[in-house]
Parts: sequence; C-alpha cells; structure tokens
Amino acid sequence: MFLSVSSLATAPPGSPNEMSNLTMSAPTPTSQTSALTPAPNDNAVAPAVTAPAFDVRNLSIWYGEKQAIKNISIEIPAKTVTAIIGPSGCGKSTFLRCLNRMHELVPHTRVDGEILFHGENLYRPGSDPAMARRRIGMVFQKSNPFPTMSIEENVLVGLRLNGVRDRHILNERLERSLRMAALWDEVKNDLKKPGMSISGGQQQRLCIARAIAVEPEVLLMDEPCSALDPIATARVEELIRELRTRYTIVIVTHNMQQASRVSDKTAFFYVGELIEFGDTAQIFSSPRERKTEDYITGRFG
Amino acid sequence: MPNGHILRDFDRALDALRADALMMASLTDRNLQNAMTCLLDRDAALCAVTISDEAEVDALEKKIDRDGVEILRRFQPVASDLRQVVSTMKLGANLERVADQAVKIARRSRRLTMEPELDEAIALGPMFIEANSLFRDSIRAFADADTTLARTLQRRDRELDQMNHDIADNLTAKMAERPARIPEYLELLFIARHLERVGDHAKNIGEDAVYTTDAEDIRHQANSLNYA
Repeated sequence: MFLSVSSLATAPPGSPNEMSNLTMSAPTPTSQTSALTPAPNDNAVAPAVTAPAFDVRNLSIWYGEKQAIKNISIEIPAKTVTAIIGPSGCGKSTFLRCLNRMHELVPHTRVDGEILFHGENLYRPGSDPAMARRRIGMVFQKSNPFPTMSIEENVLVGLRLNGVRDRHILNERLERSLRMAALWDEVKNDLKKPGMSISGGQQQRLCIARAIAVEPEVLLMDEPCSALDPIATARVEELIRELRTRYTIVIVTHNMQQASRVSDKTAFFYVGELIEFGDTAQIFSSPRERKTEDYITGRFG
Repeated sequence: MPNGHILRDFDRALDALRADALMMASLTDRNLQNAMTCLLDRDAALCAVTISDEAEVDALEKKIDRDGVEILRRFQPVASDLRQVVSTMKLGANLERVADQAVKIARRSRRLTMEPELDEAIALGPMFIEANSLFRDSIRAFADADTTLARTLQRRDRELDQMNHDIADNLTAKMAERPARIPEYLELLFIARHLERVGDHAKNIGEDAVYTTDAEDIRHQANSLNYA
C-alpha cells in the first residue's frame, strides 16, 4: 500500500512494479481501497478523512489481578499523528503495546474487548502476532540497535527475516529507509560500522529506519525522544511530521510541548481510563474535562 | 480559578501578572474620572495631572508585556493558563488605549478652559458616565470571570455609539448656529469620539474575559468570514 511513497522527494527513482514485488503479505483491505484513493499530498495540511486505522472497542487489560486499562473505546484515525498523554501508570504504554500485541510478551496478561485494525480483529483466534507486528511497527524509548550488527544490517534485518535476498532491492530499501529517517546523509559512508557506534540521536533514527524498512502501516512510538538532546529531538519530531502523510503514528509522550507540536489528535489517559480525546489544538487550549485541564496545566495531586 | 499549580512559582507569576493588570485598571479608571472632572469642572490643574499620570499606566503596560512573555517562555502555559496570560496582555494594551483617550480628553478640556464656557460641555456628562460605567463593568467582568456581565457589554457599546451619534448631530447643528465657536464645538465633538473609543476598548476587554473563562471567541459575530 506504500507504492505512493515512491513519489516522495527523498526516495530514489524506482519502478512501481519492482516495488510491488516486495509485498510480502497478502493484500489487505486497505491496500485495495488505497489503490482507489489518490496518493496523499506531501504538502497536505490536514490529514485526509479516512476510516480509522484502529477502532478500539471496550478494551480492558489485566496484568494478573491488576487492571491496567479500563473499558477504553477510541477510534485512531489513519495517516494522522495521535499523541497519548497521561501520568506514569495511567496505562498509555500498555495501550500502545496492545496495538501490536506486544504486551502479550508479558506473562499473565488478559485482554477483553476488541481492537479492529482496518476493520479486522487484531486478536481473532489464529491470527499471527508476528504479522500484526510487521504491519504495525514500534519504536521504543531507548534506542536499541542490534549490538552485533552494522548500521546496514540493522536496517535490513526485518527484510532478511522476511526472506528478501535480492541485493538490488535490499540496497534500494536501505537507502530509502535511511533517507526517510533523515539519517542517510550522516551515515552513508559508514554503513558497515556497528549500529552502536553512532550517537544516541542517530541510533534512535536508525531504529526508526529499521521500523519503516519493512513498510509497516503504523508506527507506534513509546517516548521516542525522552533520551535525546533537543537537536536530536527536533530531528525526530520533524521526521514524525514528514511521515504522517503516509503512516498512522501513535506516540506516547510525557512532554506536553512535544504532543502539542507533533500531533493532530491527543488522548488523555488517567488510571487506565480514557478521559478525553480530541484535536490537539482543542485539548491544549480549551480541554473539556477538568481532569485534563488539571493535568496539562500542572495542577495534579 | 482552579487549584494551585504543583509548581508554585507559576502561581506566583500568574498572580503577580494579574495584580499588575488590576492596578493598571484602577489607575486607568482614575485617569478617566479625572478627565471627566477636567471637562465638567473646567479644572486646568487637574488636566495637567491627568496628562502626566499617563506615564504610570504606560510603564505598567510594558511591565505586563515583559512579565507575560516571561511566563510564556518559562512555564509554557496551556489551556486556561494560556488564555489567562494572553488575555491579560491584551487587557494591558486595551487599558493603555483607554488611558490614552483620557489624556486626549484632558488636553482638549484644557484648551476649553481658555475660552468662555459652553453649555454643551455639560451635555457630555451622561455619555461620560455611561462610558465610565461600561469601562468599570468590563474590568469587573474580567477580574471576577463574570461572563454574564461580559456578554452584555457589546450591546452597551452600541448604545454608547448611538449617544456619540446624537451628540455629534447636536454639535454639528450648533456649529451652524454659532460659527465663531466652531473650534470649541470641535473639541467637544472629539471628546465624544474619545468616549466612544473607551466603549470599544471596554467591549474588547469583555470579549477577552469571555475567551479567558469560556474559551469562546465572541468577536465580530456578524461577520460570516471565518479563517480556519
């Protein structure tokens, strides 16, 4: 479904036919519908109004006896940046991990309710969590390049695991992913160096390049800038703004200004509940709920 | 106001900004009242005082802007805090303009004291009282977050405009009757115009009070053009 990406300025020229060979998963409902809709305009100010990427219905999550998420329903729009804010322990990271079934790696976790991803139940019996995670990528708080791998190997590891062997395709995808992550110019002469040898900000962008190399539809970001300096943070935020015309991005952040700057929608979580969800401009200028107001203005507790 | 902030410096800075704005409002109110006395009592000495008093209001306007910018820089306020800071800075600008009108009235009144008294000067009394009352209500609405009161000010500003029109018509007729006094009639005409401007600023202050409290923009509602 990301064939339209080939039109972006940073991508090298490549024929659409070649790229369609890269599609490793069966066609999804979205890839069919997106063929009928015009390619997103890179300069578009407002995201196109489309069906939600995620339709979460009455979601509850327990870790053992403790309920981390309490009956949350929310529609996360496609090709939009949605920020999730809330105090520590409010369930925002748990919620984010649910969106690509990452929380299942935690023992004694129980999920109730539904998460429809482009209309399809993410948790339907027999569905493969690995496939969900390929379509729904994740970037973590701490950059985590694979320590034994070079920059190049880090970017391409997902493709290799998916069986892509064609050197031409791999090279093309390597450059494109690093360009999209705004890292290409800084590392193009050092591709064989260890992924851990570059700065923290570059490592985080490397992780983003790794996440987008497999062409996911969604990028989940869990406090992606909390360990970065202001310059590296600005680069990652700029990247988020650029990627938002092509990807659905959900970002968990403790930084209110960051949520204000990069997101179109903001959801406020508090002790496992969704208190308020709305346009970011509205949430930060005139929130409807008193709890939201108290939290974002720093009056809690 | 909601509960205090966890960061108490933030509360102190917001309180100080508000205190300066209310001080500026009461100084402006005093200047406006003095301007009324200047005209009605033909008090030349008070005219001089009113003109020099403007400096206090000007200095407070600069202080409010400086402290407001400092709060934006330091605390990056959002939601009601953000609206409060932005509105208080706008209040400062409106107050400075009201004080400006008071000075202009005092200057014109001083020139009028040098000529024989005109009966029509007294006829400006009711408009003075209405302008001053409108101004005080705008400050009360802002200070007490009284949006019910604030929402009445647009209508009262239109009534003040009508008073200005009526006075201007009357003065124009007098000028035809007594051309020798045209310079003084013109001074009165302009004073009525200054009072009409005071009403505009009071209306603005009321609109900002509604924005601060209700997060609603009630300005120019007859205008159908809206930029997203």
